[in-house]
Amino acid sequence: MTADTMRHEGRVRADRLRATARLLLPYAVFLAILLLVPAVFTRVPLYTMGNGVYMAILAIAALGLVPLTGFAGQISLGQAAFFGTGAYFSAILTVKSGLPATPAAILGMATAGAAAYLFGRYLFRVSGHYLALATLGLGLVLTIVASQLEITGGTAGVVGVPSLAPFGVELFDDVSYYYLVAAVLLVAVVVVDGLVRSWLGRSLTAVGDAPHAAASSGIDIAARKRLAFVVAAVLAAAAGSLYAHWAAYVDHHTMDLLLSLQLLIIATVGGIRTVWGPVVGAFVVVTLLQVSQELFPELSERVGGQAEIVLYGLALILVLLFLPKGLAGWASDVIQRLTRARAGADEGGAR
Amino acid sequence: MAELLQHVLTGLGTGASYALVGLGIALIVQVTGVINFAQGDFVMLGALSFALLAGAGVHPVLAAAISVAGAMAVGALVNLAVIAPARGADHTRLIILTIGASIVIQGTALVAVGTKARFTPDFTPGELRLAGVNLPLQYLWIGGAAAVMVTGVWLLLTRTLLGRAMRAVAMDPAASRLVGISPRRMSFAVFTLAALLGGIGGVMLAPIQAPDPQIGLALGLKGFTAAVVGGLDNPAGAVAGGLLIGVLEGLAAGYLPSGYKDAIVYGLLIAVLLTRPTGLLRTIAVARV
Repeated sequence: MTADTMRHEGRVRADRLRATARLLLPYAVFLAILLLVPAVFTRVPLYTMGNGVYMAILAIAALGLVPLTGFAGQISLGQAAFFGTGAYFSAILTVKSGLPATPAAILGMATAGAAAYLFGRYLFRVSGHYLALATLGLGLVLTIVASQLEITGGTAGVVGVPSLAPFGVELFDDVSYYYLVAAVLLVAVVVVDGLVRSWLGRSLTAVGDAPHAAASSGIDIAARKRLAFVVAAVLAAAAGSLYAHWAAYVDHHTMDLLLSLQLLIIATVGGIRTVWGPVVGAFVVVTLLQVSQELFPELSERVGGQAEIVLYGLALILVLLFLPKGLAGWASDVIQRLTRARAGADEGGAR
Repeated sequence: MAELLQHVLTGLGTGASYALVGLGIALIVQVTGVINFAQGDFVMLGALSFALLAGAGVHPVLAAAISVAGAMAVGALVNLAVIAPARGADHTRLIILTIGASIVIQGTALVAVGTKARFTPDFTPGELRLAGVNLPLQYLWIGGAAAVMVTGVWLLLTRTLLGRAMRAVAMDPAASRLVGISPRRMSFAVFTLAALLGGIGGVMLAPIQAPDPQIGLALGLKGFTAAVVGGLDNPAGAVAGGLLIGVLEGLAAGYLPSGYKDAIVYGLLIAVLLTRPTGLLRTIAVARV
């Protein structure tokens, strides 16, 4: 073996290592941030540990919008309906039927996924933005139904949802519950990131860029959109189950349109075409909420806690107009430009 | 029988205002391809500002004129500040932008005047008595205003240069640009026109709806349902759809337990979208990818 080929092989191995590192680095950074959150949130006066739990739950519920809205171009205004489905299933099955938490949550996720599948079968037969209207209607109908039925406890809701005890460790406070929610978030991020990097993401991109070309090259557009919608519904239901056990209480407000709007805002402000978008968006939205409650406490009281929504709406419009890729998309562009500039400078220096 | 007729007639009255909302939505979809989620908030602005102004002692005609002008100004502003700057944005982004506009309009109204519902008397007190039916005159006002507006829009679209230019953009934006029609200007015009329709619908509804800043959502949804029933980009269908859901809602209010009244209309929206997404009133479905 000549020195030349050895050097070549070494370079190949180094390149491969670098590629793996580049893929894993964001996850490692994310894991580090997740682990740092309790230390920061219990010390910084603006936040409570409850905010951390809520951020992670919102991020899980908004994550499915990345493949659905970011890649398939379909808007859902019914994420709260699936969130509520998960929450009600967990609450009713654990409180009234005495089922353990895990099968209850899985049943809720399965039901939400099946509903999304059926909806998708009919809705995606034609192109257009019918999903936004249909999910808006679905959310409002389910909110009304949940506040009228006996099994959902009417407007009083279901109270006394038990706290979780995975592997016999009871999660009695927000810090311990945070670790569970953060673990679920990490898994969800890895799964969705894998999905959008796989054939699904590529074919959905093709569908978005050139639907006719995609269809003629054998991509079943309706099936891809449906799959994205099912993923979004299942994740929202999972977030809903986590919410029910955390809040210990579920009523029809968990299905509120306000939550659906919030989730869409979270995904869009953070960045709708990257899994880091919903995570960044959840952080931004909860921070806006905390800051506005700090600055104008009497205002949020007067209008029933809806003043913040103006801030969210403004943030949504500004981000969509000036940073259409969202905060995370913008940040990754900046990082890419910097590394490319540095790589260019290195090469220039070597020559 | 008289009871049934009563429910149908009051339904037609409120349905006429939904027809105006739906017409605005259908026109915007046709010209720009965008579903405008802020349409219900144009209605809310018309209704709420009329109720506030009339309540403050302003002459009703002046109050109505100011309210409609205000709604139009907001419609124009939404186009100029939110839609026009998003150059090169796809429909998904534009629709999310209208959702953002809706949130900001509703939230601003909430912060400005609070959550209280504002009552305002009928334009002309009294009822029409006919064949055992007592129809408050306000419903005739709504029906009359809607008829005038729908005729006006029809004349605008078929008899004026502006209307023809709008229809040209609806058919083929690229080709209309070639003959000197600016799709951006038509988008501005159609948003203002939709806000005018919404504002008038709102003023007419104010006495029977007791508006607060949050009624925009429900009214917008009835407009969507009207437009979807008629075929989302079919203005004539939206008018028929509005009347249809008005009657349906009137019947539901008469014969079903209250609380389900809205669920019926939203249920219809979902049912139509799932079974006949191109509209109940369209015989030939257009096949699209």
